[in-house]
Amino acid sequence: MRQFKNLVEFSLLIIIVLSLTGCWDQKELDQKAYVIGIGLDPHEAEGKVKVTYIIANPEVGSQQSGGGTNEPPQETITLAADDFISSRNTANTVISKEISYDLLRVIIVSEKLAKESDFIRWIYSAAKDREIKRSTKLIVTKESAAKFISNNKPKLETRPHKYFEFMIDRGQQTGMIPNTDLNDFFRVTESDADLFLAIYATTEKEESDRSNMSDDDFLAGEIQVEGVTNDAQFIGSAVFKEGIMIGKITGEETRISSLLDDTWDIGDFKTTFKDPFDERFRISARIAKTRANKFEFKQQSGRPVIDIKVPLYIEVLSDPSMINYAKNKEKVNDLKKAMRTKIEDNITKYIKYTQEEFKGDTFHLSIPIRTEFGTLGEFRDFDWMKSYSNAEVNVSVDIRFGEFGRQTKFPKLEEVRD
Amino acid sequence: MLKEMFKLFKKQQKKQSSSVKKLGGEQSDLKEKEFSRHLQENLSILKKLYSVPDNKDIKLRELYLEGFKKQAALLFISTITDVKSVEENILKPLTENTSSTKHVRDVVSVQMVHEISYFKDAVKDINKGNALLVLEGEAWAYVLDCPDFQSRAIEKPDNEILIKGPKEAFNEKAVANISLLRKKIRNENLIVEGIEVSQRSHNDVFVLYIRGLANEKLVTNIKKRLGSLEVNAIQNLSLLEEYIEERNYSIFPSILNTERPDRAASFLEDGYIILLMDNSPDSLVLPATFWSFFHSPEDHYLRIHYGNFTRALRMFALFITLFTSAIYIAITTYHAEMIPPDLLLAIASSREKVPFPAVIEILIMEAAFELIREAGLRVPSPIGPTIGIVGALILGQAAVEANIISPIVIIVVALGGLSSFAVSDLSLNFGVRLIRFLFILSASMIGIYGMTAFFVAGLFYMVSLKSFGVPYLAPLSPSYKSSKDTIFRRLVKNENIRPGFLKPSDSQKKSDGA
Repeated sequence: MRQFKNLVEFSLLIIIVLSLTGCWDQKELDQKAYVIGIGLDPHEAEGKVKVTYIIANPEVGSQQSGGGTNEPPQETITLAADDFISSRNTANTVISKEISYDLLRVIIVSEKLAKESDFIRWIYSAAKDREIKRSTKLIVTKESAAKFISNNKPKLETRPHKYFEFMIDRGQQTGMIPNTDLNDFFRVTESDADLFLAIYATTEKEESDRSNMSDDDFLAGEIQVEGVTNDAQFIGSAVFKEGIMIGKITGEETRISSLLDDTWDIGDFKTTFKDPFDERFRISARIAKTRANKFEFKQQSGRPVIDIKVPLYIEVLSDPSMINYAKNKEKVNDLKKAMRTKIEDNITKYIKYTQEEFKGDTFHLSIPIRTEFGTLGEFRDFDWMKSYSNAEVNVSVDIRFGEFGRQTKFPKLEEVRD
Repeated sequence: MLKEMFKLFKKQQKKQSSSVKKLGGEQSDLKEKEFSRHLQENLSILKKLYSVPDNKDIKLRELYLEGFKKQAALLFISTITDVKSVEENILKPLTENTSSTKHVRDVVSVQMVHEISYFKDAVKDINKGNALLVLEGEAWAYVLDCPDFQSRAIEKPDNEILIKGPKEAFNEKAVANISLLRKKIRNENLIVEGIEVSQRSHNDVFVLYIRGLANEKLVTNIKKRLGSLEVNAIQNLSLLEEYIEERNYSIFPSILNTERPDRAASFLEDGYIILLMDNSPDSLVLPATFWSFFHSPEDHYLRIHYGNFTRALRMFALFITLFTSAIYIAITTYHAEMIPPDLLLAIASSREKVPFPAVIEILIMEAAFELIREAGLRVPSPIGPTIGIVGALILGQAAVEANIISPIVIIVVALGGLSSFAVSDLSLNFGVRLIRFLFILSASMIGIYGMTAFFVAGLFYMVSLKSFGVPYLAPLSPSYKSSKDTIFRRLVKNENIRPGFLKPSDSQKKSDGA
């Protein structure tokens, strides 16, 4: 037995050390309630917020066969709390399991709260919590977040995490909503040079007579959709300056902003242009930015002058005036010219709008400008946020055409109408 | 802590060296005697030594030899001698001989005839299946060579199965095994040395090496270690392995066991040393590195890409075996945010009805798997398939339906268990399977951090291990000159150096350009 004495001592040592250091307070997966989204609304009392939780029901839709359940896919609760960290325990008066932010996908903030100067205090607790990922998306809603959550009833993606994942991913691919997350919010706010764009969404429909506009110059709630579907619309952006919401821009403006921004990548950007050869129709085109923008910066008598070159790759998808561009080089040049003036015009208009309305840029212009300064101190002294509003920004667009759709032979109009 | 461990090991080794000098009941005083001129005197000693007539298969034949005009006696053990040879080559020539001038060695027609004068030598040779001839008036005896031990024929290997490559395996007869090796290495420098390692059963171990290739120091070291054993009996190599191993308590094997003569031969040609023994259908290769356990001869028999593919697969399987269960526990209990949401919710929902924490679940399944495996191995072959079906059915389907185990755990454990079979060497296989449980424990206590810490500690240990002076992970770490046949192999024509860690006398295997 004596030969085992050391072995026994050794293993006792290990057992004691591990029993003191092991994580014995850990919780199993099934003992947690997974919050997919947090809604934040202002509360009447000072220093309090209304927190709404969307809690996923893991039993819905996770098993291929059998084990079907009649439980709803999600559970929502709203409660008043000091912040959304301590609200976890308050929520346990209603929810039986420990609240976990492991699967947190979105933080939904009402426009009203976002416009309050205290908003930044609430949202910064997200940076403190270990479970909240910086890739969480920030959504600003027109109505209260609680109302948005209760009205938002996806018909097909009933599981909330799937719905938000797909909705936001696809919206970012089409460029209708900005490709930003919580990390960008903190980064932009802390660098104090640009404006931050958050996803704008609503479930409240608005009657409007803007039918004569292009099909993406809308804000959430303005698009007229008929049929049996969800009320929530995700389009446009909420603009934040120094952590406070100061305005909103439409889907088209969000797309323009994305063209100027090298930090975003838009996958599927389809839009229309007025047909230069027939005023009544519009040409569909897919725009891609395959190369990075070129920025040139100089200062002329104290006024910053910036030249931006935007290389665009455009595929023309429709041909309503039946010209057949693939066979007609002259018309292609005309089209190119028309498109270029139109795009340059739109971009310049948008830049002017941001300079006058927001007094800041929404497309990370400070990043290429930064490299023009020797030190970070010099750049800070320059104060980009202030100088932007009276800067001269010249935009030139360089269009390269891709294909012109499938090349089937078009019938001659005269022959058809014979 | 490590110091404690070392102390422990040292103590063990000291204990072993306390020796037993006297062997009781061996009639050593009789054996020390010399043969006398009187036949009857000699015979009475032999009868006493062999307990004739109690011992039924000891045959003592007394006869009068006409030619020599002498009384004679022939003694042999009928069960291990070639009785036919005794009749035809010994008895017949002796009785038919009429010339008195001839010597015994001229009369009998067996392969070898020795003259001996001590009883202890006589006993040793008789026990090896030889016949002993004693003549009246001669103070010595003749040992006539005619052993015939029962054994099976050369068969296909059972454990190291290959698709491509030779299909012979070692059997229990050392002579046959040596013959298989000589068939592959036709060189007079292949030395077969016999060393007796036990005092009562007189088991011989054959040390094989190629002179001029194997490191002389290593050979003498091993021979010394074999010669210094003081044991009554060592039946076979599997038992011998434990006697000559350096670290008996280590979880990693340090001597390679192979039943394939082709594999043994290629190790010999690289300068390794092979041990063979009667009653062992395998051979021991020493020194052994981690890679020799990890490799399979088929890696070289297949074309290079196919061989390397199986090596990659095997390495992958090794890690799967070690880590899947542990990673599942670590991630589900500590790092839930790592799991994609769909999977996380699926695991959470399937776990909702299961009563045990993930660790217990995994341990139950692992234990069940090991049980099926062990039971399936020991079960008589007609019942074998039943165990498999019952095991799979009960433990898979029913456990899930009874809400004892969640279905994902079955996948995890089955994957790990199945992968463990890809590690073909039995010793390494056991090592890996045991280490897997340690990983499960460390993962259940401190998550991925615990696993990493344990893995690093394990690597430290592996690097510190040595097998007969050769580092366990050589030639990868520490780096040695070698053909770089480690995780992947190179073209056979480029593997032109013998492994440097063996310090072979001639390290060049092929000319560079070959």
